[in-house]
Amino acid sequence: MAQTENDFTLEASIPTASLESILCTEELQRRPSRGPDYEKENHAFVKLVSGLADSPSTIFQTLAETIQDITQCDSAGLSLLTRDGKTPDVCGQRFYWPAIAGMWNPHVGGGTPRNFGPCGDVLDQNRTLLFRHFERRYPYLMPVIPAAEECLLVPFYVAGKAVGTIWAIMHSGRRKFDAEDDRVMASLGKFASSAYQALAHIEDLKIQVAEREKAEAEVRELASGLEAKIRRLVEANVVGIVMWNLEGAITEANDAFLRMVQFDRKDLASGRVRWTDLTPVEWRGRDERALADLNASGIFQPFEKEYFRKDGSRVPVLLGGALFEGDGNEGVAFVLDLTEQKRAQEMLQEAQQTLYTTQGELAQVSRLTTMGELAASIAHEVNQPLTAVTNNANACLRLLARHNLDPEVLRRALEEIVADGTRASAVIARIRAFMKKTPAEKKELDINDVIQEVLALARRELSENRVLLELQLTKALPHVLADRVQLQQVLLNLIMNAVEAMTAVTDGRRMLSVQSQVDESGDVMVMVRDSGTGLGSEGDRVFNPFFTTKSNGMGMGLPISRSLIEGYGGRLWASSNSPHGAVFSFTLPIAAESPS
Amino acid sequence: MTHASVVFVVDDDPSVRSSLKFLMSSVGLQVESFDSADPLLQRKLPDAPSCLVLDVRLRGLSGLDFQRELAARNCHMPIIFITGHGDIPMSVRAMKAGAVEFLTKPFRDQDLLDAIRIALDKDRERREREKEVSDLRDRFNSLTPREQKVISMVVSGMLNKQIADQLGTAENTVKVHRSRAMEKMHAQSVADLVKMIEKVESSGEP
Repeated sequence: MAQTENDFTLEASIPTASLESILCTEELQRRPSRGPDYEKENHAFVKLVSGLADSPSTIFQTLAETIQDITQCDSAGLSLLTRDGKTPDVCGQRFYWPAIAGMWNPHVGGGTPRNFGPCGDVLDQNRTLLFRHFERRYPYLMPVIPAAEECLLVPFYVAGKAVGTIWAIMHSGRRKFDAEDDRVMASLGKFASSAYQALAHIEDLKIQVAEREKAEAEVRELASGLEAKIRRLVEANVVGIVMWNLEGAITEANDAFLRMVQFDRKDLASGRVRWTDLTPVEWRGRDERALADLNASGIFQPFEKEYFRKDGSRVPVLLGGALFEGDGNEGVAFVLDLTEQKRAQEMLQEAQQTLYTTQGELAQVSRLTTMGELAASIAHEVNQPLTAVTNNANACLRLLARHNLDPEVLRRALEEIVADGTRASAVIARIRAFMKKTPAEKKELDINDVIQEVLALARRELSENRVLLELQLTKALPHVLADRVQLQQVLLNLIMNAVEAMTAVTDGRRMLSVQSQVDESGDVMVMVRDSGTGLGSEGDRVFNPFFTTKSNGMGMGLPISRSLIEGYGGRLWASSNSPHGAVFSFTLPIAAESPS
Repeated sequence: MTHASVVFVVDDDPSVRSSLKFLMSSVGLQVESFDSADPLLQRKLPDAPSCLVLDVRLRGLSGLDFQRELAARNCHMPIIFITGHGDIPMSVRAMKAGAVEFLTKPFRDQDLLDAIRIALDKDRERREREKEVSDLRDRFNSLTPREQKVISMVVSGMLNKQIADQLGTAENTVKVHRSRAMEKMHAQSVADLVKMIEKVESSGEP
């Protein structure tokens, strides 16, 4: 609330005189009236209207001055209903004096209560009133000097509601208001109403304009802020940023991207840098999928691919992007150089490979140690009786040389020699039994049956290791003459080796192929083919006793298998599979009285 | 000095043990055999040149452990190792610890018998050396304290007069002590005496 020295509170207003005692409105019609001065009046209205058009902010002051000029009063002004003391408001609880001309001009900004004062009386009675010394009823007006001898108050309305008053005051008896003043004030009241509405409209407009300007400013700020941020992203060159179109052109790119592909700005400007040309042929299919995503959703999710550099080498990248809104032909993408990540990955893999190799070597060393210990143990077992034999025999020879050999001594020595010889051969027999458990029993066999029997044994191993089996068995093969169990052992050994060779394969199919046929020399041939790690430089060494690449292998499987096959007059050999893996093949001569 | 030498055999294989015994006795060696180290450790060793033919791989205490154990007991009996599966580190260890020989089974009988002869000679020498020192120590201990004092001064190169001055006695008295001590020590000359005292001192005890 605007508090000035002329502002008075409701509590201070104690009525002292009745309303009737301060009103003398009827006198207006009885007083001698001056004649209307239409020229002056017209002139004043033109001035008011042009003032409203030119400087609406001062129109109330112009109005106040016009009232003073036309009525030749001492003070003139207007009161507006307000809630906060400033903004006009029909529901306001006070009258506020926005403009005053003449002697009361210093009281601009003051006012009176809505329900207890001359303005309120005018609004309540809804007509022009003439007051005489209204401070007699409204004591809060007493300090407002000079005191009002007479005050002519005219209400004005907007949309049927009174919103304020205009007034003219005489502070002395120099002149009294008359009917002509009443008429002119009524006209001016109508103008005040128009001016008020015009101003309110202008205020509305101002608010609207301000709001619009504010919104526009926000949009501008947002736009310029975002642009700056995006530009920062592009120019920071932390990631490659490219603008492209669906025709394959790269229309704009930052330095980071150009560095990645080793092109320069000139190349870019010439239109030589096209994402379609940068993409190696095997990656075009992946690009097609990204384009399909773009068509469907306007974006493509980040994916890894490769680009050609200017020198023809390749750079692994991760890229993701989106189409711009609009005709849907252009878009933006980020491109990340994955070279370092890939290198790190490769190094990690290499390190792991080295670790595996080392572990493998370590395992082999410990296995060789075990084999060495086994061999030493066997040697010890045999050496003990041999030592005893030579000692006994040597002792006999010495005694014999001295002709001192008692036949009884000789007999005991010979008995011991025989016992130790038997003991040594028993050790050897044990070792042989360990190597070859059952005696061979040669029979005519269909090798396909043996293959099926072994595959039945190995089926579980195959499925556990997710190995696919391919069987190419030639029907009605001639029979071979061999021990069934030994052939089973050979085949099982080859198949298990193949499965183990493929357990290291994680990125490709694990394919075991078993083939049977008759070879060019008429022998039955069986091939066990795997897609495993292959033999590499190992070659024929795999047939050396104690050679093994397996962590739990004895290195005896293949040499024993080979000696078994050779025992039947066949051959067992290894070769490389294409594109990778190994093939173990063996042949067996056909039985003499074979059905074919 | 005429005690018959003894060869001890420790091998857990009975036929090897008995064949070794037969072989050694065929050349006239006296042999005692055991199937492990413990019974030998329990036995009182004879006062005669002896050596040990020891299998590396034994039940209980291994041959190499047994070698260490004997050294700890101040027993210097020479050792010949025999083994069914010797390796180089093992033989190096054994030889460093003072083994005479390290033979891999089956060995040539002559190699073993040669090694035994060397080992027994070695032990005999050691025993003679110890006997001599022990005799000398006995003789030295039979001297009176005064004689011992005079002798040690003589050995350090002092003249009779110097010794008499230092002991505050007459030169003649020193001469008497000295000739008595020489006689008790069976020393023919001062040089002889010096050697004797050196041997006693180098054996550790005064």
